[in-house]
Amino acid sequence: MKKQFRNAINTGIIFGIITIFLFLIGFTGISADLLGDIFRNKTAAPVSGLTFQMVNMLIFLGLIGLWAGSIGSHKEKDQTTDSYGSALLGGLISSLVHGLLVGGLALLVGTLDKNGIKINVYLSEVLPAAVKLFILGKTPIQGALFHLVFLTLTGFLGGFLSRSLGRSAWRVRWTDKSNEIIAKVAHMPIFTKIRSNRILLYSVYGLILILVFLLPLRAGQYWNYTIGTVGVYVLLGLGLNIVVGLAGLLDLGYVAFFAIGAYTMALLTAPTPHHLMWNFWIALPIGIGLAAITGLLLGAPVLRMRGDYLAIVTLGFGEIIRILSKSDALTSFTGGPKGVPSIGGPTLFGKPFESPINFVYLIFIAVLLIIFVTNRLQNSRIGRAWEAMREDEIVSRAMGINTLKQKLLAFAIGAAFAGLGGAIFASRNQFTGPEDFSLMVSINVVALVIVGGMGNIPGVIAGALVLKGLPEVLRQLQDYRVLVFGALLVVMMLWRPAGIIPSSRRKMEIEKEPEVQDISVEGREK
Amino acid sequence: MTIALETRSLTKNFGGLTAVDNVDLVIQENAIFSVIGPNGAGKTTFYNCITGFYEPDKGEVLFFGKSLVGLSPDQVTYSGISRTYQNIRLFANMSAMENILVGEHARLHSTWIDAILHTPGVVKEEKEAVEKARQLLNFVGLAGLGDQLARNLPYGAQRRLEIARALASQPRLLLLDEPTAGMNPHETSEMKDFIRQLRDKLGITILLIEHDMRVVMGISEQIAVLDYGAKIAEGTPLEIQGNPRVIEAYLGSGAASGLHNTEAQTA
Repeated sequence: MKKQFRNAINTGIIFGIITIFLFLIGFTGISADLLGDIFRNKTAAPVSGLTFQMVNMLIFLGLIGLWAGSIGSHKEKDQTTDSYGSALLGGLISSLVHGLLVGGLALLVGTLDKNGIKINVYLSEVLPAAVKLFILGKTPIQGALFHLVFLTLTGFLGGFLSRSLGRSAWRVRWTDKSNEIIAKVAHMPIFTKIRSNRILLYSVYGLILILVFLLPLRAGQYWNYTIGTVGVYVLLGLGLNIVVGLAGLLDLGYVAFFAIGAYTMALLTAPTPHHLMWNFWIALPIGIGLAAITGLLLGAPVLRMRGDYLAIVTLGFGEIIRILSKSDALTSFTGGPKGVPSIGGPTLFGKPFESPINFVYLIFIAVLLIIFVTNRLQNSRIGRAWEAMREDEIVSRAMGINTLKQKLLAFAIGAAFAGLGGAIFASRNQFTGPEDFSLMVSINVVALVIVGGMGNIPGVIAGALVLKGLPEVLRQLQDYRVLVFGALLVVMMLWRPAGIIPSSRRKMEIEKEPEVQDISVEGREK
Repeated sequence: MTIALETRSLTKNFGGLTAVDNVDLVIQENAIFSVIGPNGAGKTTFYNCITGFYEPDKGEVLFFGKSLVGLSPDQVTYSGISRTYQNIRLFANMSAMENILVGEHARLHSTWIDAILHTPGVVKEEKEAVEKARQLLNFVGLAGLGDQLARNLPYGAQRRLEIARALASQPRLLLLDEPTAGMNPHETSEMKDFIRQLRDKLGITILLIEHDMRVVMGISEQIAVLDYGAKIAEGTPLEIQGNPRVIEAYLGSGAASGLHNTEAQTA
C-alpha cells in the first residue's frame, strides 16, 4: 500500500518533469497551435478571458494530466486487491504532485517575467508571450493555482477512467485487439472470396497498382519528391530486410552500399570531377554491381563475427566510406566535401527525365522489381536457409547450410539493392555528397525495418511510409517533429512490438483457407 | 556386413580436460547402437566430434570408409549423417513444414539465380520437396500440424519434428541425443517403437545417446559405455547390465565393490 503511494509520487514527479521540459522547449505553445489547426479554432468560446490558444494548451496539458493520473493509479505488481479507493487515491497523489510541480513552474516563470527578467535570454523558447500563455494571462499566483487545480482534476479523472475501463494489461490487449481486427478484416467474406480466386486476386492487385501509378499525377512537385524519397527508402529497407530480417545479420553500416551506388552513378555520369558523362542506363548496373562486390569484400572477413561485433564493425565501415568520400586525399576523385553536382539523369526513348514525376515512376518500377526478387528469394531454398541461420546458426550448419556462403550471398544481395537505391537517388537529386550518407541513414533504415515488421515485404513498405512519410506530414510541428516522431515510435513499439505488420508464415501444408482445413487434413493425399 | 561408422582412438581435449579419450567404436550398418554413460561422460562431445562441430585432437572418424575429420558440419551432413539435439533445437519461428524443408537443404540444388528466375527445374524441385516434407510429417505422426510454428507445438511433437527434420536430409546414419528426455512412460515407449521403425522401414543406422535404460536395453543391439571420456565397456545389453565397471561408473565405486564384498565397503 505504502509502496504504491510512493510510486504514485514518483509518477507525479516524472510527469511534472516531462511537462516542465515540454514548456521549457516551447512545445506547449506549438501543440496549442497545432490543436488550434486541427479544431480550426472552434474548440469552445473563450471562457472567462481565456483565448483559443490557452484553451488548446489546456487541452494538451489535460491529456498529459489524464495520463499521469492513470499511470499513478496503477496497483503494484504484487498487490492482489485493486480497489477503487486505492486506485483513485494513487491517481490523486500523482496528479497532485504533477500539478504542484507545474504550478510551481508557472509561479516561477510568471514572477520572473513580471519582475522584468527576460527568461528567453537563457532559454530561447521561453518568450514573454509563452509565459503569458502559460499563466493564462493572469497573475502568476492565479495561473499557478489554476494549473494545480486543473492538473489535479484531470489526473483524478484519469485515475478513475483507467480503473473503470479495466486497464489490466491494456497494452497486451491493445496488441491482441489490433491483431484481431486485422484478422477479422482479412477474413471478411469479400476478402476470402478474392483470395480464393486467382483471377480476382490479380485484378485487385492490378487495380491497386493502377491507383498507385495514378497517384503521382495528382500529387504536386513537393509530394512527388517525398514519394520518391519514400520509394528509395523502401528499396533500402527491402535490401536490409534480407540482411537483418531474414539472415539475422545486424548491419549498421548499410549506408555504405547506398553511397557506393550513388557515387558510382555520380562519378560516371557527371561532368565533374571526371567528365565521363556516361549514360544512366550503363552507370546503373555498374553501381549495383560495385555495391554487391563491396558487400562481398566487406563480408568475407567481417561475417565471421556475430551479433554485436558485426554491428560495430559494419558501423565503422559505413563511417569509413563517408569519411573517405570527403577526404582531402580523394578530393580529385570523389569531389570531396563539396560533393558531385549535375549528375546525369536517365533518358527513355530519347526523352530525358526532368520532373520528379518521371523519377517517381522509375522508383516504382525499381521497387516492384525488388519486391518480385525478394519474394522469389524468400520463398526458396535460399530464403529458408537465411531464416534458419537467423533462428539457430549452429543447427543450420548441421542441416547442410554453408553459413558463410549464405551470409555473403545475403550481404551482397542486400548491398546490390542499396546500390540500386543510391544510384537512382543520386540521379534524381542531380547531386550527391558526403552529407547524404550520414549514420542517420543507416539507423533510419534499420528502424524502418524494425518498426514495419522484420522479415516481410508489406512491413518494410509500411515502415518506410511511417518513418520517411510521417515526418513530412508532421512538418507543421517544425523543430519538434523529431520529438513527436520519437514519441510516436515509442508508442508504436509498445503497442505493436512485432512491428506494424508482423511477419506471418506462409501456409504450405494446407494451402486453402481455414474453413476447409478440416477436410483437407483428412483428404490431403488425394 | 558393412561398417557404417568407425572411430579410431578418437580424442578431444578442452584445456586440461580430456572429454573424449581414445574411443574406438565400430558401428555396423543397419544397427541400433547406444552410447551411454553418466552425465559429463563425453557423449555429446563424442557426437560433436563426429558431426564436425569439434575437430578431434587425435584419431580418425570413418564413415563408410571415408574420413570425416576436418570436414565442416555442413559437409558432414552432405556425406549422409544427421543428428538431433539433447535440448530441442528447432527453428522456433518457422513452421513445422519449413523446418523440414530446411532439413532438405542438402538434398536440393537450386541457387539464388534459379530461385529468382523460377526455372522449371526449381519449380519441380520445390514441389517435390514440399511433397516429401508432407510425407515426413505423416511419417512422424504430425500430419495437419505442418503450418504451426515449431515453438507452438507440444513437447513430444517437437521431438518428433526434430527427427523429421534430421530425416529430411536422407541420412544413412542418424545420431539421436536423448530423444526421450522429458517424456512420460507412454511417450517414451512410443518413441522406442518409432526409433525401431526408422531402422526397419527406412534402413537408417542409428546411434543413440540415452539415459532411459528401458529404452537403451529395449532397442539397442550394441551398447558402448563412456566414463570420463573413455570407453569402459562395450557389448550387448545383457553383457552391459552385468558389467561391474559400468555399475561402478553409474553408482560409484562403493556400489560396485559392494556387489562382491559388502564388508569392504563399510570399512
